Amino acid sequence: MMIIAGRVTLLVTILLLGVIVVAGINMSKSGKWTPKIRRLAGLDAVEEAVGRATEMGAPVHFSPGIGGITDQIAPQTFAGLEVLRYVTELTAKYNTEIIVTIRQPTVFPLAQEIVRQGYITAGRPDMFQEDTVQFLSSEQFAYAAGVLGIFNRRKVAANIMMGAFWAESLLFAEGGAQVGAIQVAGTASMAQLPFFVAACDYCLLGEELYAAGAYLSQDKVKLGSIGAQDIAKAITMVILLVGSLLATAEIDALANLLKK
Amino acid sequence: MRREVPLIITFVVGMIVLFANIVTSADGSDFFLKAWSTEIENWIIIVSAFAVGLATVNLFRIHGDNITRQRPGWFNSLALLLAIVVFAVVGSIARLGSSEFFDTLNPNLYDAIIAPLSAAMFAMLAFYIASSAYRAFRMRSLEATVMLIAAILIMLGKAPVGEMIWSKFPTISTWLMDIPNTVGQRAIMIGAAIGGFATSLRILLGIERGHLGGAE
Repeated sequence: MMIIAGRVTLLVTILLLGVIVVAGINMSKSGKWTPKIRRLAGLDAVEEAVGRATEMGAPVHFSPGIGGITDQIAPQTFAGLEVLRYVTELTAKYNTEIIVTIRQPTVFPLAQEIVRQGYITAGRPDMFQEDTVQFLSSEQFAYAAGVLGIFNRRKVAANIMMGAFWAESLLFAEGGAQVGAIQVAGTASMAQLPFFVAACDYCLLGEELYAAGAYLSQDKVKLGSIGAQDIAKAITMVILLVGSLLATAEIDALANLLKK
Repeated sequence: MRREVPLIITFVVGMIVLFANIVTSADGSDFFLKAWSTEIENWIIIVSAFAVGLATVNLFRIHGDNITRQRPGWFNSLALLLAIVVFAVVGSIARLGSSEFFDTLNPNLYDAIIAPLSAAMFAMLAFYIASSAYRAFRMRSLEATVMLIAAILIMLGKAPVGEMIWSKFPTISTWLMDIPNTVGQRAIMIGAAIGGFATSLRILLGIERGHLGGAE
């Protein structure tokens, strides 16, 4: 058994980050270190959005993005589903309808189970209806058309979008704005961030989406892993700085090492 | 056990796929992890097919209900269900390859219906970009003002008329795109990459389990 050429750095990075994250979790669990997440206005606004929908007597729309659960953008989908659980419990608390629209068939049973269990946890299993979680289409723009149709027919008061999005991001954000919905979006898809920032009321940028689950639950284990993330980021910054200085001095030792 | 079994499957499968992409056999022959990983990918296709079945049942139940109760817009539901049936029947017969008529009809249905409709939806983005830009660039805050000024400078730098007005506009535009824009994008990208990795690790280790539903 041997490591594939060019994958040594990848393996070392995975192991190192793994050790840091596990250490962070253990320290947080034992109470030696309790990381704090700075205030995320986007997540604080979710309750405001659901409250507004309640006042207006209109439904809340939630989309966990159009990414799958088996590809490289899967973490975004899972992060979105974490938020879905929180939003479901909020809608149960406020007795407000939620409409969850799905593009990926593999995400559909997960979302259905999360919403069903969310209602059960909140003591409102009766709120779960057949059309609470709707699979619309696996075609990107057919899904987008379906979502826009729901916006206009149901006049949603709040539109929450958390996950991986592509070109449909602006269609949703503008469609939501046109029906007057308060909009909270979160994605790590770089190309779609500007659209969400421009068109939504609140936006979670990149890593903020991944921190959503920990921020909302304030679970020590999750907080520990988020704190560990910051340590990993600090190490990355040091490597970037050293690499930049070495490259400026025309020393390519670090670059060659990272290529291994 | 209802929660433990999925967590164990997630961990084992995740580790197999991860290490299949990192290690290989010393003699260069097919490594057993690679074969397992390929097998798992086939399972994903099978599980996905079942998920498509579940999702289709959901579509039929919701829209079938709309039609039987004659809810507002029930005819749209009827059109949707008819389209599903037509596409499924034509696609299945064409797949069997027994009819030249259906072989021709199948791609034509796609090229003449789905492709233009998707293109029309995509084209709507042009109008939406204009309306969202108008709202974003209204000078309601310092950030919006900075964004407006940056956008104007970049547009002037990219449009030929900008260079005619002042020759330095393209230089300013390139600087804005290459330095502040790239710096910001890279910062978000690095944070998102590390965040994505940590989230993946939490899922593999069973720490992040909200997707399984229920209380933790």
